[in-house]
Amino acid sequence: MDYSIVITIVRYVLGTIGYWMILKKCGDKPYWAAVPVAREYHIGKCAHMEEEARTFTILTLATYVCQIIMAFLPDGSLRENLVSILLIAIGLASAVYMIRIFLGLCRVFGRRKLWVVLFVLLEEPAALIWGLSKKFVPNRQIEDFSKAEGAKLAGVDAKPLDKGLTINIQDRTVVDFFKKKYLLRDIHMNIPTGHMVLLLGGSGAGKTTFVNAVTGYEKARAEIRLNDQNVYEDYASMKYDVGFVPQQDLMRGNDTVARTLADAATLRLPSSVHSKERWERVKKVLEEFGLYAVRNSLVEKLSGGQRKRLSIAMEYISDPSLFILDEPDSGLDGVVARSLFEKLRKIADEGKIVIVITHTPDRVIDLFDDVIVLAKDNLRTGRLAWYGSVEESYGFFGKNSMEEILLSINQKEEGGEGRANEFVEKYADHIQEKAG
Amino acid sequence: MNEKTNLRHTGHISQTVIYLGKLFRMFIFQNDWKVLPMSAVIAGLVSFAVGRNLFRTMEGTLTGTFALSCVCIWNGFFNSIQSVCRERAIIKREHRSGLHISSYVAAHLIYQSILCAGQAVITITVCSVLGVAMPSKPLVTPWPLVDLAVTLFLITFCADMLAILVSSVAHSTTTAMTVMPFLLIVQLVFCGTVFPLPEGVSWTSNLTISRPGLTALCAQGDYNDLPMVSIWNSAVKMENVEINGIKPVQQALIYIQENNLQEDFMKKTAEKNQKPEYAFDPEIVKSSWFMLILWAFIYICGAVISLELIDRDKR
Repeated sequence: MDYSIVITIVRYVLGTIGYWMILKKCGDKPYWAAVPVAREYHIGKCAHMEEEARTFTILTLATYVCQIIMAFLPDGSLRENLVSILLIAIGLASAVYMIRIFLGLCRVFGRRKLWVVLFVLLEEPAALIWGLSKKFVPNRQIEDFSKAEGAKLAGVDAKPLDKGLTINIQDRTVVDFFKKKYLLRDIHMNIPTGHMVLLLGGSGAGKTTFVNAVTGYEKARAEIRLNDQNVYEDYASMKYDVGFVPQQDLMRGNDTVARTLADAATLRLPSSVHSKERWERVKKVLEEFGLYAVRNSLVEKLSGGQRKRLSIAMEYISDPSLFILDEPDSGLDGVVARSLFEKLRKIADEGKIVIVITHTPDRVIDLFDDVIVLAKDNLRTGRLAWYGSVEESYGFFGKNSMEEILLSINQKEEGGEGRANEFVEKYADHIQEKAG
Repeated sequence: MNEKTNLRHTGHISQTVIYLGKLFRMFIFQNDWKVLPMSAVIAGLVSFAVGRNLFRTMEGTLTGTFALSCVCIWNGFFNSIQSVCRERAIIKREHRSGLHISSYVAAHLIYQSILCAGQAVITITVCSVLGVAMPSKPLVTPWPLVDLAVTLFLITFCADMLAILVSSVAHSTTTAMTVMPFLLIVQLVFCGTVFPLPEGVSWTSNLTISRPGLTALCAQGDYNDLPMVSIWNSAVKMENVEINGIKPVQQALIYIQENNLQEDFMKKTAEKNQKPEYAFDPEIVKSSWFMLILWAFIYICGAVISLELIDRDKR
């Protein structure tokens, strides 16, 4: 009789019992402990290490596949040797991920890291101890959104504007490891031209996803209209009319300021623009952004403020109708940041729409017309908690500053008041009331 | 309809010119120029180590052309292994603003081909200056040195394009630099000539750059017409071996030397070790060049496809 098979079965049964209890304690469905491959993913989830859990699951699956292939290959053959080399490599990677996940489990159960040694050497007895002993209790449960309902939907589409930006986002979803996940839902608004709008939201509220959906860079189930054009349908041409300034100053440090701007102009301006005209535009923008004096300097030699202005100028050069900036004031002191926002205000006053994400809005809030407040509801979906004038927003949230508003919608574990759902629903009522 | 959005924007050729300009400025202002003196130093080291018997004996040609191929692959890898991944975030931003990835890669292709040509010329110059024998008979073109330069250029260029592919797939310079030595080892070990491969996997040598490169170099050096010295050298080492009181190897050596048959002996041993794939035949060189161009083309396509997906990069 081949005892190795018996030992493998006994080990698997013991492991299943141990992990069954552990998953139960973590608030997960315990039957996953009995399913090979899925077990690894759910243990990782229990350790609150979902990303590692996915990789570990894929590695486990690859291990099983290699073992099955090896069973069909002749002993000592070249192919068998190649598969066994692959198996060794996968095994080493699996071991690293296993250690990471067990370390995560130790954190969640508040136990010493030494337990990892026992888990690696004697996984099944360790799992049994953790599963059966009442002393082993996790300090965090797995969040199960499968039966929860999100905050109420307003479901009122914004009517398209002749001059301005109309946003009607039904939802923006991704399929993440076989699960559909809502990133944004039910966001509708009209932003008239000439408005400078603050985009406010805690981390993970979906600000960048929202911006990408609005610009058509990552399409949502939505209709976005800029003036009289559909951004999604005409994306190839519309992308030149939308300027997006990323948070980091993504420019080549070894080019001169003038050259950087000239190349940006060639890339973004229509090909019908004559070279002389293009250089005049470059000169004008350099002067407007206070960069003319440093036009021959290398980008890497510029100060933080100058670099930021150049980054904005690169998008401004094509004179876009919609201008979106992701934290343009990061790393800038108050005075420099203020002057930058004043420049943005001037751009908005030229008849553009300027949307700005910033984490320090209160020092420049007087320059904004409107504010968009995005919040994570109980399903961790980005929802609209407010869009309207800055003044009205204080009354709506019952707060005196943007930072207080942000705190009120942030989750409790983030140090906030955790009132996102309340305000999302209040805003939905407000919109439905307005729509009659 | 909005007039602004119905306008034509910069085409592929103009964009290629923009990026070529950027690359040449990088060559001057960043450290990219250093690859040229580096290739001279490497060529010098290789000439010193294996140049003495290159294109003079079969063994010297095999090890020497292998070393030359390695130099070219090394140069190609170093030219561009970081060139794309170090500015990945910038490419992503520019792609969002209308950059054509094919233009960007085309600019790299043109710029790198100029670098590779420079390196091929430098390698030949350094080898010549250090007294390494060069192929003397023309094969494809009427000039043997041009044939050699084209082969060295194509090996370097092909390795360069493979490095561009790796650099396009890798999300960071650390990843690219981690992958590079692995690829280099594969190129060296799986070449299939210096280290013979087991029968079942010998086909893998066709996937390397070093194999067609080495084949073209050996053919150009007329490998099959060169003397083989290793058997003679082994015999000399064994001349004092005694069997039943006599020294048969010594007797044979004395006979060969007394009758001035040493050269004939080496030629005869060489004849028994000729390899048809290294024959002095322009078709062999042409097919090796074709393989290198084909691989370079595949790598370029891979780089373009990989960079077209740059918008999917996670934040």
